[in-house]
Amino acid sequence: MSLPLLPTTAVGSYPKPAYLLEARRKFLRKHLSKEELTELERRATREWIQIQEDAGMDLLVDGEQYRGDMVAYFADEMEGFAIAGLVRSYGNRYYPKPVVVGPVGRRHPVTVEWFRYAQSLTSKPVKGMLTGPYTIAEWSFNEHYPTRRELVLELARAIHQEVVDLQRAGARYIQIDEPAIHTRPEEDFDLAVEAMEIVTDGVGAYTVSHICYGDVPKIYPAMLKLAVNQLDLALKNEEFALLETFKKSPFTKDIGLGVVDAHSHRVESVEEVANGIRRTLGVIPAKQIFISPDCGLKTRTAEETVGKLRNMVEATKLVRKELTETRNRGIAETRTAPR
Amino acid sequence: MRGAQPRSNLFKRGIATAPTGPRNDLVKDRLPVPELCEQETQLITTVVGNYPKIPDMPAPGKWRSAVEKFQKGQLTEAELRQVEDEVTLEAIQDQVDAGVDLITDGQIRWEDGQTHFARRLRGLSINGLQRYFDTNIYFREPVAEGEIAWVEPISVRDFEFARRHSPRPVKPVVTGPFTLARLGRNAYYQSGREFVLALARALNAELRALQEAGAEIIQVDEPALCRYKQEYPLFAEAMTVLVDGVNTKKVLCTYFGDVDGMYPQLLQLPFEVIGLDFVAGYRNWDVIARAPFTKTLMCGILDARNTRLETVDEIGRAIRRITDVVPPDRVMVAPSAGLEFLPHGVAKRKLQRLVEGTRAASQALKGVQA
Ligand SMILES: [Zn+2]
Repeated sequence: MSLPLLPTTAVGSYPKPAYLLEARRKFLRKHLSKEELTELERRATREWIQIQEDAGMDLLVDGEQYRGDMVAYFADEMEGFAIAGLVRSYGNRYYPKPVVVGPVGRRHPVTVEWFRYAQSLTSKPVKGMLTGPYTIAEWSFNEHYPTRRELVLELARAIHQEVVDLQRAGARYIQIDEPAIHTRPEEDFDLAVEAMEIVTDGVGAYTVSHICYGDVPKIYPAMLKLAVNQLDLALKNEEFALLETFKKSPFTKDIGLGVVDAHSHRVESVEEVANGIRRTLGVIPAKQIFISPDCGLKTRTAEETVGKLRNMVEATKLVRKELTETRNRGIAETRTAPR
Repeated sequence: MRGAQPRSNLFKRGIATAPTGPRNDLVKDRLPVPELCEQETQLITTVVGNYPKIPDMPAPGKWRSAVEKFQKGQLTEAELRQVEDEVTLEAIQDQVDAGVDLITDGQIRWEDGQTHFARRLRGLSINGLQRYFDTNIYFREPVAEGEIAWVEPISVRDFEFARRHSPRPVKPVVTGPFTLARLGRNAYYQSGREFVLALARALNAELRALQEAGAEIIQVDEPALCRYKQEYPLFAEAMTVLVDGVNTKKVLCTYFGDVDGMYPQLLQLPFEVIGLDFVAGYRNWDVIARAPFTKTLMCGILDARNTRLETVDEIGRAIRRITDVVPPDRVMVAPSAGLEFLPHGVAKRKLQRLVEGTRAASQALKGVQA
């Protein structure tokens, strides 16, 4: 089954339903077993798969209902990490920050079971979802490796094994999130590129890297060197200002085009989303574009999330129709044009 | 003999024996006392500023619970402020217990370094979340939408509260105009220069208010300087405006990078103490060796952004490297940045190790001199 023109997809996370949040709290207090928690995580995953199908999306995600934090989740499942404690990210939002205390590596596949489960629920393709080595390293304390480089490359080898396992489990689309990649562009960007080469080395699946929150123009066009097929970027939160950057040097990869803001409560209208896509078509050819929210939607309410996904799909259908009409008209005009 | 030189560091005398409680005049009286020779090599410890607001897991911590309740309307603003006061006292206590000589209030009430000041100045609005330098924490972007002006004291009440409850001298901290501008957006002024200078004028009023309130030392944080070195001339101009008429001791604190390319020019700025980060700004080790360091150096040598605890030995070696270049009586030892990047327990251990390592180094220096 192939994807339509302008395939619609998502970045990864969706909000957790109230029953799951409650269950996670109970689990932490040991009032709920791991099995009971997992069952509720599966229920929430089923619900999100259904919501995405109902919305008419083309390339689905599992919604990350089983994850707390995108780095801590991998740290918990891998060798060499401990959780150092809670660190504030903003306001009263805290995240459990991991610390590298020994050689890092995989004990067992981390995400493969969840991928299998999500894919078993739908005939639409589901993306395999990983956090990239640079981001895991950058967002962890390091008490073991003498240099960041050694840590990043060791993590890259571990994530590569995970990519291979996902592919073996049937994943045809694999996303490696690197939201921290532009942290030290002058010092470290080559290291991030080298790490991604290790991660996707010899992989036949279609690969995506999601990059957000930071100075993208600063790493453009260098970011096009990343060894993935697609870069998924947030365009909407800066009202498509990045298009000016892409005009200066052509966007040579596929783009996951963020068309709805993941951090605003407002549900963008169909027309507003369609306009964003239309503006992009003037800069990047349609066949290179996937349509996506700016970022994971886990901080939105379920209603906002469904509203944003629906309007994203409707807007995409509208633009597809316009493109088909233009093409048909073009063909008709060519046919009738005097030679 | 160093004893004959003017001492730029007045904070070492009598600090450990200071009484608790209201002590406005006591501090004033104590500070200018003449130096005692045997304490020459007693290095001063201090911090950059912020401190974790919540205890380690699994306790949610009263501050976090209070904010949640406040957001749900179950707590009044006055009740939330009360909790912030309590947490501030705990942050002060941690620093005092560890033996830090010159402390801050832990910046418990700061949402972030930008918003805390921008929200209370006229002419600025507060925009969406942005990543704070190369960290994984966020701040809200201030936007200049009109003429920027200082309206009322921003940090004076917090400074007075901390001083009233601290047996140690308290250093108020103000985010500098250059960093506020660089992490903000200008939608009003004709040029970036005017934006920076307008902020410098507004914050000058804040520094004067702190001086009025009796602050003996004021720290200005300018981490953005390390990222926008090419703008040094504008930075220097802004600093002159910022400290106009402010006669307290002043600390210019940089972090997240080095000052390569701006040294020794930096020593001409109107500050008595310069704070440098020797972890993220590891090039500073070479930089300070290039010209005599004529001011007091606040050296950030403990990594505020990694949980690994430096050993007493490592701290001693770092301090020896510093004192090879800067006389010990002009050295303050500190973490490389604010400690809120760390979980609470680790932050507390860093403070303890900071003092432990610095005291051991002071002893060693004394041995060398004897
Ligand atoms: Zn994102």
